Amino acid sequence: MTSDEGTGAAAAPAEPAVPAAPAGKGLSVRGVTLSYGGTPVVRELSLDLPHGGLTMIIGPNGCGKSTLIKALARAIKPDAGAVLLNGTDLRAYRGRAVAREVALLPQSPLAPEGISVRGLVRRGRYPHHTLLRQWSPEDDTAIAFALERTGLTELADARVGELSGGQRQRVWIAMVLAQQTELLLLDEPTTFLDVAHQYELLELCAELHREGRTVVAVLHDLNQAARFASHLVVMHEGRVVAEGPPAEVLTAELVGEVFGLPCDIVPDPRTSTPMVVPHAKLVPGRPL
Amino acid sequence: MTATEERAVGARVERPRGMVVIGRRLALPMSRAALLVGVGIVLALVAAAVATLTMGRLGVPLGELPTALTGGAEGKSLFVLDRLRGPRLVVAIAAGAALGLSGALFQSVTRNPLGSPDVIGLSGGAGAGAAVVALKMPDVPVSLGALVGAAAAITLVYFSTGTGFRDPGRLIVAGIGVAAIALALTQYVVYAVERERATALTAYVNGSLAARSWEDARDIGLALLVLLPLTLALSRRLEIGEMGDEIAAALGAEPKRTRTQAVLLSVLLSAAAISVAGPIAFIALTAPQIARRLTGGSGAHLLLSALMGSLLLVLADLAAQQLPMDDMPVGIYTMAIGGIYLGYLLTREWRKGRL
Repeated sequence: MTSDEGTGAAAAPAEPAVPAAPAGKGLSVRGVTLSYGGTPVVRELSLDLPHGGLTMIIGPNGCGKSTLIKALARAIKPDAGAVLLNGTDLRAYRGRAVAREVALLPQSPLAPEGISVRGLVRRGRYPHHTLLRQWSPEDDTAIAFALERTGLTELADARVGELSGGQRQRVWIAMVLAQQTELLLLDEPTTFLDVAHQYELLELCAELHREGRTVVAVLHDLNQAARFASHLVVMHEGRVVAEGPPAEVLTAELVGEVFGLPCDIVPDPRTSTPMVVPHAKLVPGRPL
Repeated sequence: MTATEERAVGARVERPRGMVVIGRRLALPMSRAALLVGVGIVLALVAAAVATLTMGRLGVPLGELPTALTGGAEGKSLFVLDRLRGPRLVVAIAAGAALGLSGALFQSVTRNPLGSPDVIGLSGGAGAGAAVVALKMPDVPVSLGALVGAAAAITLVYFSTGTGFRDPGRLIVAGIGVAAIALALTQYVVYAVERERATALTAYVNGSLAARSWEDARDIGLALLVLLPLTLALSRRLEIGEMGDEIAAALGAEPKRTRTQAVLLSVLLSAAAISVAGPIAFIALTAPQIARRLTGGSGAHLLLSALMGSLLLVLADLAAQQLPMDDMPVGIYTMAIGGIYLGYLLTREWRKGRL
C-alpha cells in the first residue's frame, strides 16, 4: 500500500532526464521534496495519480497535501525530484503548455475588483492565447460550457463581488473548466461552502470524472472523500502513508494513527463506502 | 483580409465580442466601454491642449492656430508656440502618460490603489536624485540621477517593509518614511546652492513644467516610445497576476517575473517623467483609478491610464499658467487636489479593513 519509494529520489537531475519508470498519461511524482517558506513540507515523495481517476488526497493539517497539489500545477517548484506530466518533467514544458493540460484551483484566489462572472471565467482561456492573439475560436464555446456546467449562465454579467460564497466558488470552478484541461486539481474546494453546496460541488467533480477527466482534490472531510473518490491518497508528515480504493485504505487503525482519532468504520448506508464514526467520549468503542 | 473572409463564410466563425481582430494572428481586447472612454479622454485632451496654446495674454488667437501649427507662425505666435508653450505642452502630455502608466503598473502589482509611486516614495526618490545631480554634478545627465534616486527609494521601501510589496499598510508607512528622507535631501541640496540658482530649481521639490525645451520633449517622448509598448505587452500577464500568484502560475503566467518587470518599467517611467518635470504629485495615483472607474470594468487599463495621465497633467498645467498665481509650479496644484483623493482612499481602505 505504501508507495513511498525514497530511493528513487537520490539523484535529483539538473536537466530534465528521461524518467526511468514507464510513467504513462497523466501526472506522477518522482522523489519530490517541497518546501514552504524555507522549511521542507514534503520529503522525497513518489506518487502516480491514476489517469482518468477521481483522486482525493486526505491528511491532517500541515501534512503537505496542499503543497503537493500546488507542485502538480507548477505553482511551487520542487527542491529535488520531478513532477512528470505524460512522462516528461514539468520543467521541460513552457508554462502555458502545462496550463493547457492541468488546471489548478487554489484555496483562496483573489477576484479582481469590479470583474464580471464572464470576465473572470474568460481569464481561464489565457493559456490558449498569445501576446497578439488574445482570442481563440474555441473561447466562446468553452466559456459557455463552463458557465452552463456550474449553473451560472444567468449570472454571467453579474459582478463577482456581489455573489454569495457558494456562487463565487462556482465561478472559480467555471474559470478552471474554461481552461479545458484534461486534469483538474482542486485544493479544498468545499471550504467555506455550506453542506448542500459541498455535495453539489462534489457531484460536479464526479460528473466530470465520469465524462473522462482526471480530477484530483484535497479534501478535509473523510466521509465525503471516501464516498466520491475512486482512489484515495492518505498523507502524513509529508509522506504518502496509504493509497488505493477507499474501501481498502480507510481503516480504523489508519484514522487512529494518522489523525489521532479513535473511531469505527461502518459502511455508508447509502453508498456502502467506508464511513468514519468517531468514538464518543463517554461510551468508547461501542459498535453501532 | 482574413477577417472579412471569415465574416463572409457566415455563421461558422463568429466575430468575437469585445475584440479587435486583424487577420488570423492579431486579436486584441477592446471593449466598447473602454473605446468610448478612450475617445472621450482624447477629445478632452485635444480641447485642453488647444486651450493651453490659445488662452491668456500671450495665447495664439484661436482663429490663427491652424495656420500657426502648420508652419505659418511668425513673430509673437512663433515665440509662444516654439519656445514658450509648445514644448511645455508636449512634455505635459508625455510626462502625464508616463506617470499614469507607472501608477497603473504599481497598483496592479500591489493589488492596491495606494501602492502608487507617489505614495510609496518612488517619486520623491527620483526628485531627490534629479536635484542632487542637477545641482551638484553638472556633468551627469539629470535623468540618470532621477533613475538612481527612484531605484534607491524603491529598494529601501522593499527591504524596510519586510514583506516586499505585499502588505499595503506596511508599504505606505515605509513609503512615507522614504518620501520624507527624499524631501529632506532635496531641500538640503536646493538650500545649499546659491540662492538665485535655487529659485529656478524649486521644480525638483514640487514639480514644474515652466520653461521646458524641445530637448526635454524629445527625451520624454523617446522614453515613452520605448517603454509604452513594453508596458502594454505586460498587460495580460498583469491581469492574470491580480488573481494571486498560485493561480497565475497554474495558468502559465510566471507571476514573479511579471512583477519584477512591472516594477522595473514603473521605476523607469517615473524616472523619465520626473527628470523632465520634477516629482509632480498624485498623477500616478489618480489617473489609473479614474480610468478604472470610468470603464467600470477590471484590469490594469494601461492605455487609458496613460491617456488620463496626459489629460490630468495638461489640465493642471493649464491652471498653473492661467490662474493669477504667477505661474506657480504645477506640482502644487496636483498636490492639493491629489491630496484630497489620497485622504479619501486612505479612509476607504481603512474602513474596508485593508490597511
